[in-house]
Amino acid sequence: MSLWVDKFRPKTLDDLHYHQSLSTRLKSLAASADFPHMLFYGPSGAGKKTRISCTLRQLFGSGVEKLKIDQRVFISPSKRKLEINVVQSNFHIEITPSEAGNYDRVVIQDLLKEIAQTQQVDLNAKHRFKVVVINEADSLSRDAQAALRRTMEKYMSNMRIILCANSTSRLIAPIKSRCLLMRVAAPNPEEMQIVLEHVAKKLKFDLPEEASQQIAEDSGGNMRKALLVFEALKMQSPDLSGSLNIAKPDWETYCHKVADLIVQEQSPARVLEVRAKLYELLTHCIPPTIILKTIAERVVERVDEAIKADVMHWAAFYETRMRLGNKKIYHLEAWVVKVMSLYKHFMYNFDMADFE
Amino acid sequence: MHTVISSSGTTSKAPRKKTKLKTVKLDASSEPPNKKLRTSAKPPVFGLIGSVPRPRPQGSLALSQQPSFLEPQTHRKDVKGKGKSVLPSVNQDDDRLWVDKYEPTIEADLAVHKRKVEDVRRWILEAFEGGPTGKLRKYRRILVLTGPAGTAKTTTVRVLAREMGFEIVEWRNSMSERGSSAFVDNSKDLGDDSWMDTEALFDKFQAFLTRASSCYNIFAASSAIPSTQSKSHRLQSLSQSSTISLPSTSSSQPSNRHLILLEDLPNILHLPTQARFHEALQSLCGSSESGPPVVIIISDSGLRGENAYDDNAWDGTGGARWSKKETIDVRSLLGADLSTSPYVTRIAFNPIAPTLMTKALQAMLANHFASTSGKAPTKDVVEMIVESSNGDIRSAVMALEFACIVTLTKSGGKGKTRRNTAGSGGARAVLEAVTRREQSLVLFHLMGKILYNKRKGDPPATHLSSRDAAKERELDETLLDPSPLPDWLSEHDRKASRVCLETIASDSPIDSSLLGLYIHQNYTMFCTDVDQCDGVCEGLSWVDCVGGHLPSTTPYAFPTLALSTLHALPTPVPRKGQKVCKPSWFDMRNKEQDALDGIGDVATWLGHGGASDEHAPGRWTHADVAIELGGWLRAVDRTGIAQLQVPRAHRLFSCLPWGSGGAGGDVLGEDECGEVHDVDGEGDVRVWGTLRDEEEVKGWWLESDDIEEA
Repeated sequence: MSLWVDKFRPKTLDDLHYHQSLSTRLKSLAASADFPHMLFYGPSGAGKKTRISCTLRQLFGSGVEKLKIDQRVFISPSKRKLEINVVQSNFHIEITPSEAGNYDRVVIQDLLKEIAQTQQVDLNAKHRFKVVVINEADSLSRDAQAALRRTMEKYMSNMRIILCANSTSRLIAPIKSRCLLMRVAAPNPEEMQIVLEHVAKKLKFDLPEEASQQIAEDSGGNMRKALLVFEALKMQSPDLSGSLNIAKPDWETYCHKVADLIVQEQSPARVLEVRAKLYELLTHCIPPTIILKTIAERVVERVDEAIKADVMHWAAFYETRMRLGNKKIYHLEAWVVKVMSLYKHFMYNFDMADFE
Repeated sequence: MHTVISSSGTTSKAPRKKTKLKTVKLDASSEPPNKKLRTSAKPPVFGLIGSVPRPRPQGSLALSQQPSFLEPQTHRKDVKGKGKSVLPSVNQDDDRLWVDKYEPTIEADLAVHKRKVEDVRRWILEAFEGGPTGKLRKYRRILVLTGPAGTAKTTTVRVLAREMGFEIVEWRNSMSERGSSAFVDNSKDLGDDSWMDTEALFDKFQAFLTRASSCYNIFAASSAIPSTQSKSHRLQSLSQSSTISLPSTSSSQPSNRHLILLEDLPNILHLPTQARFHEALQSLCGSSESGPPVVIIISDSGLRGENAYDDNAWDGTGGARWSKKETIDVRSLLGADLSTSPYVTRIAFNPIAPTLMTKALQAMLANHFASTSGKAPTKDVVEMIVESSNGDIRSAVMALEFACIVTLTKSGGKGKTRRNTAGSGGARAVLEAVTRREQSLVLFHLMGKILYNKRKGDPPATHLSSRDAAKERELDETLLDPSPLPDWLSEHDRKASRVCLETIASDSPIDSSLLGLYIHQNYTMFCTDVDQCDGVCEGLSWVDCVGGHLPSTTPYAFPTLALSTLHALPTPVPRKGQKVCKPSWFDMRNKEQDALDGIGDVATWLGHGGASDEHAPGRWTHADVAIELGGWLRAVDRTGIAQLQVPRAHRLFSCLPWGSGGAGGDVLGEDECGEVHDVDGEGDVRVWGTLRDEEEVKGWWLESDDIEEA
């Protein structure tokens, strides 16, 4: 018994089920001596990390799978100690600098410099360079990105960087221009079904056509989500027949109900009620940006055409503030109140017009 | 008169006392009681002290050089310092603080809830004897007592030590050799610290641990039962708690039982020290079962609104810096591995319940005034102290002692006529200084001023007396009308506010960030319309985002916040019996932190091959776990696949039922202060606690049958 997502994760580029053209390109890149810096981007659950690890394996062989986890300590200019978990093999090193929050620049600079200044000692290594994988590159601060930009040129001889991001919009242009961009699109439902069937075959049971279809459609292009749902369903009803009841994640239904609360009534008392719900979501560690996005999408579905644009505008506005500020609840609530106020005025004017 | 003043002249209230005494000097009968008090007070108290052995010297044995050689120093210092602060002119033996003097010696005197004491007692018993099957001993290695300050954590252990007849070996950091601790790193690097004349502090700590766990006190017989009095205490307790099988061997071989108490911890926030500390504890756990159990005591430090040290922890898109904290808690103290291991038990002490505390204080007063002539403070006084202490019995006892000293001088000459006016008023004023009422009233008024948003020309509220109303009118006279706004800004037109921003800003007991939280918690009740809410919220959001990266002590945050709130609130605010609540943000913050820890557990579990055959760390980010793994985890829970052993803490984040979430928050009373205490009453179970407990009960390691195999 194990998590299927991890168990059946493809290990080599040949094992990948979809985006074949991408795989061939990656393979030829790995074969050439001239491997560029790369930036993988695409929605979550599309297979970016899987493709990165497959590429690494193609580059260096199975040695990259011998991973060890290290805790590194960096010291910020203000003498604060930052502990970062670093996953590494002999050939590559993987970091998530956003764990360091505002101090990610220090981490990037120190770590990259250290790696860049050491040569590959393993004479049998296929390549002279080491690879640095930077996860969640789009949450890197401006400072860190600027620091990255210079190092990318300077230490090209013994280091390559692979960035992994959800979207390129938050990366500065100089970085984008120094990388080879690889878009990993979300798989379409048919491709997901193939993967699901592959997993079912490996586990030696039958996956009914309609079940896989339903799972694939429900997961919205997120392969990880699809596999998790699949496994959860299998656990509950082993034969997977009949009408499947794919439950949305708790937090998603929760968000939808919050949206309903907002649209139903607009009053200070309701604000208090919504706040309690928002707190509940936050204490379950749902990232506030996702809360805002999910609620906003639902609200937009339910309100009149005329104020849809405004609702989204304010969502974007308060998301920016949330990134700048400290206490997320203020901004979430400010948006909720703004929407309530908008909606109320709209309904009020509507009534008036009707009346005249 | 002068002698009286100097003998009681404590700190701030000297002038007041002087005047009071003047008024009553003529009363001749007042002198004798005072004198009598000062002379005759000592012998009974002295006797009391003699009978109750001081626990600390007893606790520190001659096991290692460290504590024994420290003890005299600190002891002497104690005496000196306290002598100065309390009664300088009296006998040395009398001048201990009440906290020390009347420290409970038997369980019945403890103000802690019976169940908690029972928990601790059971643990200690199991640690020594191994529970019903005798096999539990292996798993009773470390007990962590947590709780706010002044909840009798240490005292409980001491009392139990006395009752159950074991010794406490306690570690103290030595301050005199502090200089050497700075070289911890160096000496480690050099691998040879012989060039220094003292060993590093942590080396001493380690030596202490090894010595304490492998050696026994050869003087045990004499030091464990220092006096006949304590023996009788023990006998008494034996008869009291006959249901519990006390160690029958306690008198014949007490030296076998000792317990290591760690309260004064090495500098855990220093990373190398922390690592070595973890190592040391782990080796204690791993070693054979002969070593003594370890009790670690951690006082929770309250979380302030101000420090933004982990406010950015969850930055929306992903990574949480959950592993880095700058406060001491169980996790950072024991390390992730150990804090979830079966060797560690955690018992959380709650703030002491008012009823228990009142009882304890009354008992203490009875005890004190049995031996001292004088007038015990009234019930009201005790009640007031209990109320304001927020469950901190140490501060309550301090306050009580101070209150008693003051009443003594006052009672020396109480004019019959003045008694009601000046006397009780004085007591009140003194008590307000002793307790924290004064400061908290300011907060209460501050919130009222801002949230009720009174402006010039508002009709006086119905509950106001005519005099107050007149005062308001008077104030209105002095206010200038603001110059009229142009048409296009007419929506912002307001009457002049009665709130003087400069005054409230300078008088405020809280900083701007805490003010923001208070306003945020309460504004909805004072708004009549969503548009007003919008204004307040916008202000909060703006101030938070502008002040985000600056130190929040920025002088502009407070006025901006107050002004924007005043501007947005309706005027006058309709009175609907609103109650100002304390911000629930802190509770939420704590819950979120617990859930984050849970996520961390699950993420490491996934990385270490918990659910997959291979060892693949770092594949799951925390955000992914929080968002996408919930369904799967619940499915695992429902189907109950036992061999998976998912960390149970996942329920803290994976399950989110639509229910009536806790909207409220405690009502801010007039006598609350701005500090945040999470007061959860006895019997109130916290999620984290239950989850951990459950783990303990259901976990694989407590099936007593397979313990030996495990």
